[in-house]
Amino acid sequence: MTMTDSPPATETAPAVSSPAVAGLYEALTTTDHKSIGRIWLKSGVLAFVGAVVLGALLGFERLDADSTDLFGGENAFFQVWALYRIGLALLVAAPLFIGLATIVVPMQVGSTNIAFPRAALAAAWSFLIGTAIMVASVLATGGWGAVDQASGDERDAVALTLVGMGLVVVALLLASLCIATTVISMRVRGMTLLRTPVFAWSMLVATAVWLLTLPVLLANLLVAYVDLHNGPGSFGGGLSGDLSIYAQIAWVVEQPQVYAFAIPVLGVLGSIVPVAAGVRAARHGLSLGLIGFFGLLSIGAWAQPFFQPTSDAVVRYDEKFVFIAFGLAAILPVVGALGGAADTLFRGRSNVDGLPPAHLIAALGGAVLLAAGAAAGVARVVEPFELGDRITVSGVMNLVLFAAIASAMAGIWFWAPKIGGHELSPMIGRAAALSVVGGAVVLGGAQVINGFFETSNSPLVAPVEDAADALNLVALLGMLLIGLGALSVVGALGKAMRSDETGADDPWSGQTLEWSTSTPPPAGNFAQAPALVTSEAPLLDEAPEESSDEGEES
Amino acid sequence: MTATATGLPSAEVTRPRTVLVGTMFASGAAFMAFIGVVLVYVSSRAQAQAADIEWIADGTVELGPSGFVFATLILSIFTVQWAVQAINNDDRKNALVALLLSALFGAAVFNQLWFIMNDSGFSLSANNAEFMFFVVLGTFVAFMISAVGFVTLTFLRALIGQFGPRKADSVAAAAFYWNTVVAMYAIAWYVIFVTK
Repeated sequence: MTMTDSPPATETAPAVSSPAVAGLYEALTTTDHKSIGRIWLKSGVLAFVGAVVLGALLGFERLDADSTDLFGGENAFFQVWALYRIGLALLVAAPLFIGLATIVVPMQVGSTNIAFPRAALAAAWSFLIGTAIMVASVLATGGWGAVDQASGDERDAVALTLVGMGLVVVALLLASLCIATTVISMRVRGMTLLRTPVFAWSMLVATAVWLLTLPVLLANLLVAYVDLHNGPGSFGGGLSGDLSIYAQIAWVVEQPQVYAFAIPVLGVLGSIVPVAAGVRAARHGLSLGLIGFFGLLSIGAWAQPFFQPTSDAVVRYDEKFVFIAFGLAAILPVVGALGGAADTLFRGRSNVDGLPPAHLIAALGGAVLLAAGAAAGVARVVEPFELGDRITVSGVMNLVLFAAIASAMAGIWFWAPKIGGHELSPMIGRAAALSVVGGAVVLGGAQVINGFFETSNSPLVAPVEDAADALNLVALLGMLLIGLGALSVVGALGKAMRSDETGADDPWSGQTLEWSTSTPPPAGNFAQAPALVTSEAPLLDEAPEESSDEGEES
Repeated sequence: MTATATGLPSAEVTRPRTVLVGTMFASGAAFMAFIGVVLVYVSSRAQAQAADIEWIADGTVELGPSGFVFATLILSIFTVQWAVQAINNDDRKNALVALLLSALFGAAVFNQLWFIMNDSGFSLSANNAEFMFFVVLGTFVAFMISAVGFVTLTFLRALIGQFGPRKADSVAAAAFYWNTVVAMYAIAWYVIFVTK
């Protein structure tokens, strides 16, 4: 066996008496993609709860802009605000999708495991370590700059934040590489790229965009880190009342780059809606094209201050044609995907009876949130509104990232039998989906509107109009509603983990290969190799008269 | 199992060129990271020039030594591709020589870059220009180290007979990554040493 080959997925743990030790050994040594994916998912769900707590605290703080008592100073307030924003993208949305993809994508493409399983495991643990370093250093007066002149300890803490964030980014890149390679080179025979299931395709597009853009973030962090230690202090390392490190990396959570974390929203929608409607999705190729187009429009590493000369003679990046065009066009593929989902649901309306399943509510809610975020993004790029430095920017971010989270919830409910072997409570799922989607609409909507009242995006700048305070209160209520949803998710997952009841192999009459295996899936995923794939929904295909097209695909 | 109920023959799960595909993605990511650093250099230089601040003084960064680095790397492109060709022809002896030569060219590049950095007399904390000079070249050195490591590992694996005409992906992957790193230097060379 060569060094890059996958080891067998059926490694046996040593005989140990304690289940906890055995579990830890399994988590540290497993090469089974399902176990690795569960590490990502648990981390993402915990971070979701943490982000909502931070968001609620920030919301309380913003109610009274003159006081910063809750965090013990302006600097801590700013750093927690930055942690919430960066965490929502890098510690919640991306890991949730990576976890889902690590588990589901290999099964969808008919593979026995993910590509480079040991690299995937290393990525999961590196991510956890990086997250711990990043969060701990922010709490220890670190962060992405300093509001006042930084002391020596604070400089060290800032450096540690950059190291932790760098490790998180490297881990996300490594996991992305494994997922993208799985889709490209481990598809079962007959599954051309055009026959790739929509979710697997959306993860291919998303991970490709992450692989092209997040390394630029890594470059930003590298420059700031070296400057902090030995540089002239012009690239964020000065730390004398300087928040330029955050200003530099904020492009990751602003449009167009923030859309990159929501690309799989369209994939989850395209996977769940046809199954819920009980019909084959029409125009599969168009769906793939729309996802690819959305991915193209979400490449945003170029829209950052480092690439923005300060000369007045130069047009700012957010006033350039490309930025405006990306902002205007981003809504088109989302609306197109929603239209396709509506068409599928309409054609399958006779198959839908009773309450809609939780995963359908969350998937549709996530897509609607994404459309709302993209619509707010259109307002953001329309120059007469001058919303570029207003809180509308945060509104767009919250709508898009909570769209990603709602969509990931849909995926967790939908693929739960394949993830953990259990089905999740449909009632709790519906409540959680409605809470998160409703809360995000209230939160994001209030922030988008607040921007029109000239409220700054910076948490350190007090609102100028009275209406802003009322809208801040509305935003806080939205965040509390999301918190209820987050607690519901944790409750449903906890209940399922304690359950002895095994889920059905195919509870939804699925259309793609992951539903052809048992629940929970065995090591190697399939008891028998999947049959030759002849369409994007292989489980709906009937046996042909003769297998004349066997040699059609490569 | 539903999938096999279609009556079609079972499909084998194949892994065509997985290592090569993974390396291509990794190379793309590495290239973008390097481009990110180079663009900071370009942007900072543009700001300095707009403010009439001298960026790099004439005579401090010579084109000659950096050109030798580039020439060495161009030679190495031929040697890594020679290794790929040799392994595809099941010529292990030639493949080993080619991989070893590539790694040696890499070592020569380190030597020459060390000279360039010392010869410049720059200091990391002096000003933006000298800082970015070191950051760009330092980032390149880091990627070059990884490329030399990859080629050396491939050499060792070839030495114990892990590759052949039907299993040449890892050699092709090492060559692809090497060529990506050479492309990085081509950009750095043009930006730092030619246009300064």
